[in-house]
This record gives sequence, structure tokens and C-alpha cells, in this order.
Amino acid sequence: MEIIIPILVTLVFAATPILLAALGELVVEKAGVLNLGVEGMMLVGAIAGFAGQFYTGNPYFALLCGAVAGAAVSLIFGFLTLSLSANQTATGLALTIFGTGFSALAGAPFSARPIQLMGPLFPPELATHPLWRGVFGYSAPVYFSFFMVFAIWYFLQKTRAGLILRAVGENDLSAHSIGYSVRGVRYLAVLFGGAMAGIAGACFPLLLTPQWAERMTAGRGWIAVALVVFASWRPLRLLAGAYLFGLVMTMELYAKAGGGPLSVIPSELWAALPYLATIVVLVLISIRRDASTNAPACLGKPFLPSN
Amino acid sequence: MTLNRRTILKAGAAAAALPLLGSRAFAQGEPLKVGFIYVGTINDNGYNYAHNQGRIYLQEQLGDAVETTYVENVPEGPDCERVLRELAQQGNKLIFATSFGFGDSVIKVAQQFPDVKFEHATGYMKADNVGLYNARFYEGRAVCGTIAGHLSKTGKLAYIGSFPIPEVVMGINALALSARKVNPNATVKPVYISTWNDPAKEADAARALIDQGVDVIAQHTDGPAALQVAQERGIVGGFGQGADMSAFAPETQLTSIIDHWGPHYLASAKAVIDGTWVAGDTWEGLKEDVVQIGPYGPKVTEEVKAAAEAVRLGQIDGSFHIFTGPIKDNTGAERVAAGVVMTDAELLSMDWYVEGVEQPA
Amino acid sequence: MPFRLEKRPEPSRLMQYLTPAAAVALTMVVGAIIFSLIGYDGMGAVREIFLTPLTNAYKWQDLGVKAAPLIIIGVGLSIAYRANVWNIGAEGQYVVGGLAGTWVALATYGMSGPWILPLMVLAGVVGGMLYAAIPALLRTRLNVNEILTSLMLTYASVQLIYYLIRAPWKDPMGMGFPQTRMFAEAARLPTIIPGTIVHLGVPIALLVALVAWFIMSRSVFGYQMRVVGTAPHAARYGGFSENRTIWLAMLVSGGLAGLAGVLEVAGPFQRMVPGFPTNYGFTAIIVAFLGRLNPLGVVFAGIVMAITFVGGEVAQTTIGLPNAATGIFQAMVLFFLLGGDLLVRYRLRRVASTPATGAA
Repeated sequence: MEIIIPILVTLVFAATPILLAALGELVVEKAGVLNLGVEGMMLVGAIAGFAGQFYTGNPYFALLCGAVAGAAVSLIFGFLTLSLSANQTATGLALTIFGTGFSALAGAPFSARPIQLMGPLFPPELATHPLWRGVFGYSAPVYFSFFMVFAIWYFLQKTRAGLILRAVGENDLSAHSIGYSVRGVRYLAVLFGGAMAGIAGACFPLLLTPQWAERMTAGRGWIAVALVVFASWRPLRLLAGAYLFGLVMTMELYAKAGGGPLSVIPSELWAALPYLATIVVLVLISIRRDASTNAPACLGKPFLPSN
Repeated sequence: MTLNRRTILKAGAAAAALPLLGSRAFAQGEPLKVGFIYVGTINDNGYNYAHNQGRIYLQEQLGDAVETTYVENVPEGPDCERVLRELAQQGNKLIFATSFGFGDSVIKVAQQFPDVKFEHATGYMKADNVGLYNARFYEGRAVCGTIAGHLSKTGKLAYIGSFPIPEVVMGINALALSARKVNPNATVKPVYISTWNDPAKEADAARALIDQGVDVIAQHTDGPAALQVAQERGIVGGFGQGADMSAFAPETQLTSIIDHWGPHYLASAKAVIDGTWVAGDTWEGLKEDVVQIGPYGPKVTEEVKAAAEAVRLGQIDGSFHIFTGPIKDNTGAERVAAGVVMTDAELLSMDWYVEGVEQPA
Repeated sequence: MPFRLEKRPEPSRLMQYLTPAAAVALTMVVGAIIFSLIGYDGMGAVREIFLTPLTNAYKWQDLGVKAAPLIIIGVGLSIAYRANVWNIGAEGQYVVGGLAGTWVALATYGMSGPWILPLMVLAGVVGGMLYAAIPALLRTRLNVNEILTSLMLTYASVQLIYYLIRAPWKDPMGMGFPQTRMFAEAARLPTIIPGTIVHLGVPIALLVALVAWFIMSRSVFGYQMRVVGTAPHAARYGGFSENRTIWLAMLVSGGLAGLAGVLEVAGPFQRMVPGFPTNYGFTAIIVAFLGRLNPLGVVFAGIVMAITFVGGEVAQTTIGLPNAATGIFQAMVLFFLLGGDLLVRYRLRRVASTPATGAA
């Protein structure tokens, strides 16, 4: 039984970057934009976060570096898809190619250089008891991700700005005709998504493994994209989904390390589970017609007002 | 072809002089071009980094007599074939393919370039101009296991590997055998993570193992992620793999197994220059300095250090071989009779675990 | 701003052909400048990446072999995208096609006969189609977004390879390495030019592109695809079923991706290995756009992408340019191209002048 808290701690750390990136992507998609460049933005955030920590030793500054770098590369996506109405799918894929290459080039001088992990937010005295460790034993980005879940939920459901953002995602042409700036809203959403992906990327060297390694996000950006859909574009479900995905990712390792019935499941099935589960959820929400409306109607379509 | 003939003529002339002058005489002509292909990036702090260090060693040792080139992140498949042909066509006369998955491509390209020598690391398919080379990493594992057996408090060791290939199985078994010579109750838990390079997954595997009582972790993947977790959690220790990783875990790295390919690359390049290269099948270890044991960490006491050194030196002078019977497998059946040493062929196809290794799923 | 955008009554043909060329040219100029500024041989990088593969006749076989799968998949995708069906899971369909072909090759191991290879190809095409049928079914029956389902299925398919070659299909003689055995002679794609690596897949790619071009521009099917894509309402009035179009688009693009997969495994690979998914399916999305969703354009786009791959390796060996730089060059080509798309549909006009004179 005493193994439960350590599993929880590991899975929370594993889930946090996915949750952060997915929260950003959720806002982007709610504004009607599909940015498939999450993996690339995460990698750029990872190298920026690493460099920030390497040079200053201040993890908060490092997270900021990640956020700024993520937002900066998302601007490429924003400019092409929003100002120039380029195809979002292709631009997102190009952004991932770019981010992978850019981070590898920028990261080359940092190989074989360890950095300090980001310590827990609360004083360690609070987390001496194992049970309290499960509550107070995490670093700041974990609590930040909780905060953002509720902040984004509140923003989307309860604020006027959130309503506008959803309107832009549901029906860009009417939002435009009412006088809202569709491009302006989408730019802000894309920048926010980039910053969140950048923070998520920075979590890899700061929370999980304090080094720089090429492609160190290893496909988790795509899991974040899946997660948004899995959560049917709802922030609270996103929280649950992130921890479910985190559980799938860590349970494999605990099962293999500890033996037991779960250890016979092939690791390939564990790895495929988040994607298969996402398809199942897509099917389920489509069967329950009421929920299917939650997918932003304009998702992935360019905004082309007739002049 | 003409270039090759000239090379041999020059090398023959040089062979009459002192061996040291051999390379210099050659340097006045055209340098030997040597190509390397790596499956990952040279910045992985591990396997590919070590091969690239070997290339740099070769370049430093032979200076102007060689001209080395490398291509990194080469996918295992047709892309590799293209890169190999590219290197051959650019005049590289000796090409090292440093990953198992390059094997098919090496054989194919070697047929098209009979005057180019190829060497394939960790592979098993030979040809007239394709040699094989590998390192006895398990010798290093035996040193690690000795240290682990002495220092582990729980007696629970773990081994994070990528796939259950003989290379990895051998390492697990060497670790278990040597640890149990010191502590007969020690066990080794292998965990296969099905990837060579996913640092976050390696780190999480290490966390899962530590949470379940493991206090010494060996890893057989390309980077230092697991070792960093060992340092962070303050367990007894871990081992560097491929390169000295003490920068990542100054207190916790007990020692490291360093892949020191340089001497092998030097010997092969010299053989090509001298015209004496033949497709070999070398499997070198501590004795030939191709496998090295890095500096011992601060937790390794003088007494343990002496025990580890005894194992290291015993393998160098040939008095100790870790795979000497009696060896039982983990079902209790005797696999190797007392006094019998396993052959290289048996080792290279090892697919069973010795006593004390928990059967992985 | 003294300029404003104005929608063209019809997409500009000139711009359609001009922008891809301009994107490549711009990448060469900007790339040379950027890489020079950060301390590399920028001119050399551009020369080695974009020109050497073309000027060195020895590299042409590599271009053909690398471009073939990109062209085959890209042609299928361009047909689907014309119909506004966003299959981005071609990588998964490519993988399943390759696996289906591998299954036939392993099942017939030890047999010989000229029927084995065609059977493998058939299996590959059917495999790709079936895998594409899942998103098609979900889209037509349940209105589930095909972008998301086809993407998810891609990641699942990669795990399927890992599982099959690690467990049931593992080479008994492979020293425990996760890969299948080498295919028998009868299951290998023959090379068509002796002494080179150019295999049967290369002419097949050209044939596929030609046939697709003919069908798209000359047949009712092609007309249907184009109309559904550009004017869905008109198509509905014209009696073209939207669902039928989705099914056709998914099956054609999935089948072609599967074809590329089986040709790749039977040709260059000759066994199934963990490195089989080489992102051809994703790169082909880019190829489809670079080729302006026109099957003949896709041929050129596939060759351009192949040049950057082959040239990237040349640049590594000759001037020591890191592998990562190739990705940056590829991304730049795409960014410029996608940005230039605008000029196809819009034109810049001076705000002050009258519409008749201000075209830029």
C-alpha cells in the first residue's frame, strides 16, 4: 500500500508537462485553430528552459525562458495561418520539424552539462510524512498546472473574453460580423498555446531529467494533442485525462519493476493506449450527440472573410 | 581503384621504415579517409558520444595521416545504405558502422565497393571487406556487480535495458553473477523500456525501481537519465554507461563502464594504411583497453575498491572469467558445469537469465 | 498600410507555379545568410543541400528511391485534400501496408513463384485501405473528425510494428534483435536498372502520378472530388454524395499509402525493422502541399524533398553541417511556401489606386 504515494508522485510529474501543453492547445483549439506543432514548441521550450537554468540557476527564470521561446515560435505558426491563411495542418507539422531541428542545433553546446532540478515548492518539512508528500511534494509547475485548469475553465465559462474566444472558434464569420477581431483573438490564443507548450517543454529538463537530450520530449507533444480531444475540449476533463494518461505511462514501469499481473501487458500496448482511448472517446462523444457540439466548429479551418 | 593501388604501394614502401614513420610517410601523400556513421547524436553523453570520442582519438593519434568524417542520426534502414554509399563515394576507404541495425546496409554497400573496408559494431554478418568488432562490456559489468554486491543494503539491484538482446542479457547476467559472489542473496530486476533514447521514460523507470526497494541501478540505454534519478533520490548508487557520467551524479556514480573505441579504430586504420587489414571479428575488452573502468565514486571504500580492482585485473590477466561454471539459470537448472567457461558463441546468443535475476515479463 | 489584399476571382495559375519555386529560392538565400551568421558555411550548406544531389549524377538513384514513396503517398493525399478530406494518418496507413506485405512475405517464406510479390502488393494496398477505412467509417457514420482519428491511429500502428517484430514475427536467427527475417528472393522488389538501387517502386510512383493526374483532370471521379472540395453545396445539388466522396478519398489515399509501405518494405528494407516508420507519411503531407495538390506537381515536390534529405547528408560529410540543419532548411521551404499560398488566392493592391492599375 505504501507504494501508492510514490506512484502518485511519479505520475503527477509525468502528467504535468502533458497537462500544461494540452491546456495551451485546448485554448488554441477553442479559438478554432488546430496547431499540430506542439511537439516542436515543447522542444524549443525545453532547450530554452535548460539554457535559462544553466546560465542563471533560477528555475522560475528558466520556465519563463521556456514560455517566451514557445510563444516566439508559435508566432511563426500564427503569422502563417492567421495573417496569411496558410493551411493549419501543414503549418503545424512544419513547425514540429522546425522545432526539432532548431532545438537540436541550439542544444548541441549543452551536451554533457547537468543542471539543478527544480526543488519542491513547499518547505520539505511539510512533506516528511508520505501522505503529505503526495500533497506538498511537488515543484511549482505542478501547482501551476492545477491553477491553470481552473483558471482556463473560469476564463472560458465565466468571462466575456472567454465567450468571445469560444464564439470565434464556433463561428468565425459571425464573430467577425459582430465586430470582434477574429485574427486578434486567435493570435492571442496561439501565443498562449505556445507559451504553455514552452513551459511544458521546460519541465523536461527542470522536473524530470536535468539534462539536455535531443528530442527529449519523445512524442509527448502528440499525446498532449490526443489529450485535448480525449477530454472533449473541457479543462476539468483534461485534468482527469492527463492523470489517466500519466497513470498509463507510469503504471507500465511500476508493473514491470514490481511484477504482478499487469506486468504481462506488452509495453507496446501501454504505449498505444492513450491514442486508442482517445479514439474511443471521440466515438463516444459523437454517439452522445449532445456532447459532440463541444468540438469547436471552426477547428482547423482558415478564417477567410470575404472582402 | 587506382587510389587504392597507390595506397598499398605507399604503405608497402613505408613498411620498410620504422612503424612510426609509416604513418608519416603516408601523410605526405594522401591521408586515409575514414568515415563513421552513428545511429544517434554525438551529444547523447553515452553510446554515440563514445564512438565519436573514438573517432577523435584516431584523428589525434594519426594526425594528418587520416581524415575522419562522421554522419549522425542515421536511421537504420535504406537511409543508412545511402549514407554509406555517400561516404564510400567520397573516397573513404575505411568505414565504421557503429550500430547493430546498420548490418543489412553494410553488407549491401560492401558488395558495391569491394575496395572499401567496412567494420560493423555489434553485428554478426561478415564479408571479405566487412569486419566485425565489439567490446566485452560484460567485463565491466562484472566490476560493477562486485561493487554493487558490497554496497547494496537491500540486496535489490536493477538493470534498465532497451530490448532483450544478447548484449543486454549478458550484461544483466554478469552483474548478477558478480554481485552474488559477494552477497549470495542479491537479486537483479531487469526492466525493458523498448526504447534506446527516451530520457524521461528511463528516469521514470528508475523512480519506479527505487520506490520498490532497489538501491543500485545499472542502465543500458544511451544517456545518464537513470543515474540522475539515483543521485536525486540519494540511493546507494548507479553506474555510468558508455562514458564517465560523474558530472551528472557526482556522489552516486559508483564507477562507469567507458567504451574506449579509440585503440580499436587506431589499430584498424593503421592496418588499412599498412595494407594488412583483413576482415576480422574482434571482441576486445579490459585487456585491450577497449573497455575501461572509470574513476570510482566517493562511496566506494578502499576495501570495495580493492575487490573491484581484483576483478578488473583478473579479467586483464585472464585469471578470472565471470561466465565460469557452475552457473544455474533462474529456474534452478544448471546451465554451465563447474570449471567450464562459456564460449564466445554461447555468450553472443545468450537468451536466459542466471540465478538471482527476476524473470522479466 | 499602402497595400491591401484582394481576393482573386480565380486562383492565379502563374502564382501556383511560381510560389513553390520562389519558396525554394528564398530558403536558399535566407538559409545561406542565417547559417553564415551563426558560424557555419552558409553558402556551402545551400550548395551541398540543394545543388550537389542534382549535379552529381551518382545521387540521382538516391533521389528516385527516396522520392518514390513520397510521391505515391503525396498523390493519394493530394486527391483527398482536393475533396477537403483531411487524412493526416498516411504514416499509419503506410505502416499497416508494410505490415500486411510483411505478413504475406513471412507466410510464403520458403515458397517461390512470381505470384508472391503481386500478392504482397495487393495485401499492402488492402491493408492501407482498411486502416484508412476506420477514420472514414467514423467520419461518415458518427461525424468524427478524421484529422484526429487518422493521427491517433498512426501512433497506434507504430506500436503494432514494435510488438510484432519483438514477439511473433521475430527473426529466429536474428540474435534476439527486434526485426523479422530477411525476405526470400521471391518477396523482394527487383531493381530495374542493373548496378543501381533503383527498384520497381520508382516507375510505379511515376505511373501512379500520371494515372492520378489523368483521372483527376479528365474523369467524372476527379470532377466529383474537385467539386466536393471547392463547392460542397453545389456538389450536393449535383447529386454527388458527400459520404461517398469521403470514402473514396480515404480509400484512395490510404490504399496508395499502403502501396508505398509494401513497396518500401519489399524494396529497400527487405525485412521489417523498428526503423520502418521513417515519417514518409508526414513528409508526404508537405509534399502534397508543395505540389499544389496536383499529381504532377507532387512528382516535382517529392523530388525537391528528396533533394533536401540526400543533400543534408552530403552537407554533413563534406562541410560538417549538423543533421539538425536539414530539418531547419525543410521547415523554411514549407514556411515560405505556405506563406506564399496567399498570393495564389489573393493579390496585393495599392489602396490609393484604382483596382485596374494597382496590381502588384
